[in-house]
Amino acid sequence: MNSIHYSTDVQVLEARYALRLVGHLNAQVESLPPDVSERLRFAREQALSRARETRAAAGAVPAGISPAGTVVLASFVPWLQRAASVLPLLLLLAGLMMIQQWQTREQVLATAEIDTQLLADALPPAAYSDPGFAEFLRAPAQP
Amino acid sequence: MATDKELSDFLKSVEKRAFKRTVYAVRHDDAALDIVQDAMIKLAEKYADRPAAELPLIFQRILSNATMDWFRREKVRNAVMSSLSAFDATEPDGDFDLLEMLQGAEGSAGGESASDAVSRTQILRAIDAEVAGLPTRQREAFLLRYWEEFDVAETAAVMGCSEGSVKTHCSRAVHALAKSLRAKGITP
Repeated sequence: MNSIHYSTDVQVLEARYALRLVGHLNAQVESLPPDVSERLRFAREQALSRARETRAAAGAVPAGISPAGTVVLASFVPWLQRAASVLPLLLLLAGLMMIQQWQTREQVLATAEIDTQLLADALPPAAYSDPGFAEFLRAPAQP
Repeated sequence: MATDKELSDFLKSVEKRAFKRTVYAVRHDDAALDIVQDAMIKLAEKYADRPAAELPLIFQRILSNATMDWFRREKVRNAVMSSLSAFDATEPDGDFDLLEMLQGAEGSAGGESASDAVSRTQILRAIDAEVAGLPTRQREAFLLRYWEEFDVAETAAVMGCSEGSVKTHCSRAVHALAKSLRAKGITP
């Protein structure tokens, strides 16, 4: 029993003495040279900027459950940024598809126009497959 | 998750002690500043998403590992230099032996001129020298336990040893400091 008390007392005395020494160490640390303090400040700022970069790269909005019970998306902002970067590509594809449709429609209309003119002409379409009529068309017009 | 302000406040609160603790270990201001900067950046890059309450323990662990890495690099560099050199190195092999040698040199250099009339600055310097002169493990345990205000379990976690070892190291450190300071006539 006495030995327990003794060891506790020794520990208390040790701790008290150590804290007195630490007080002196604290006083000394507060008077570090300015260049050391400045370099520590620079190191701290570097570390903070790295932390910001890391958070930004990882989609820093934390995932979790809000107090209201709804799930908070971890990467909401980066998702929007990714969608925004894909948007020009989607617009380009839509434009190309519209151009192709317009060209197809133009071809159909041109073919329909030719068919209409052929059918509306006094000359029957079968005449164009007649060799004699073809020869007539190639021959120079008689004055 | 620690916010920028929490991280900044934490680093600001710990940076000077971290520097001083590293200077005690490596005995070189520039090297200590590099080590502290590396530790800060590593903490910020890899552990900034951890709660602010966990940062002190993680940071001290990173700092201890960074210091050990520095010693390993120095050891390799010294080995290369000594093998290139024609001179036989008089330095011992282990990190701790090297520190012990430095400790002995510092202790003998600062062992004079102590009396009740010394100025406060001189007292601070004497205490600083005595703390720097402690064996590495004792000094680490002492500083983590009393300066960083870690409990025994946290100190043991940072140092990678048992809680009993921490208590022993701390006790021996305090007794050694008390004895050497008393011999110089200094009562803190």
